[in-house]
Amino acid sequence: MTDENKVVNGFCFLPPSLSAWIKSTIPKDEFQGEIPWTPLKKPLAETTFSLMTSAGINMNDDPPFDMAKEKREPMWGDPSYRRIPITATQTDIDVNHLHVNTGYIKKDINVVLPVNRFQEFEADGTIGALAPIAYSYYGYQMDPAVLINETMPQVVADMKAEGVEAVLLTPT
Amino acid sequence: MGLVARSLEENGLSTVVLTMVPEYNREIGIPRVAAIEYPFGRIVGEVNDAVGQRQVLLSVLSVLENAESPGEVVHLPFTWHEEPKETKWHPPEISPIVKLYLDEIKKAGAEARS
Repeated sequence: MTDENKVVNGFCFLPPSLSAWIKSTIPKDEFQGEIPWTPLKKPLAETTFSLMTSAGINMNDDPPFDMAKEKREPMWGDPSYRRIPITATQTDIDVNHLHVNTGYIKKDINVVLPVNRFQEFEADGTIGALAPIAYSYYGYQMDPAVLINETMPQVVADMKAEGVEAVLLTPT
Repeated sequence: MGLVARSLEENGLSTVVLTMVPEYNREIGIPRVAAIEYPFGRIVGEVNDAVGQRQVLLSVLSVLENAESPGEVVHLPFTWHEEPKETKWHPPEISPIVKLYLDEIKKAGAEARS
């Protein structure tokens, strides 16, 4: 179903008290600062993509994101990242996230990390290519310093080595 | 997610963020945003609904292709097939931060109602 005049209400799925609390932490006015911008250099059909999600997905043979430490220290969230080959199947992955129901992702990774859909887009020529690795981190970062200053440079270097030109980012 | 997008753009990668909470764009300033009113944990669509997921993703690619200036937010026209209360997106246990701030959260709720 679609509604062409839809205005997304980001709080509609949250309980009223939690909505009110989160709203109290977000500015009321539009962002006024600089926003970085890299224009798309080529048509979609010639562009190499990667995907990145904050869903806390890991390959079974990699360590899971650290939930135990967050339970001990509620303001801390695991700032590391995991590489997810786009050929990963449902039985290859695990998902850890303390803020959402991870059950849907465990049934179909495409609900947050659409690796199969983007392989189809490559096959039908909608995009140029999907790079071999997708990326996963953990979307609860009250202090994002380590994620931004230490993890992201590694992600950027990996993506560049894999020929990535554009990235779809999907939260949980 | 906004900071991650900014970091990629600063390093020469074009991004598009699909989000269910476009209000966060007021806090961070995100290069390209496609907003969708889908529940947490299933932002691309329903489990095993390849057709629906594909429609959403084609719309997101269109946002990436057509955005002309940084900070653009496009609201996608899709509506979720369940009522918000029926979406069962919540974690099985109350999250550590919500547990920690439960009194403040209840207070914020009471103030919003009054």
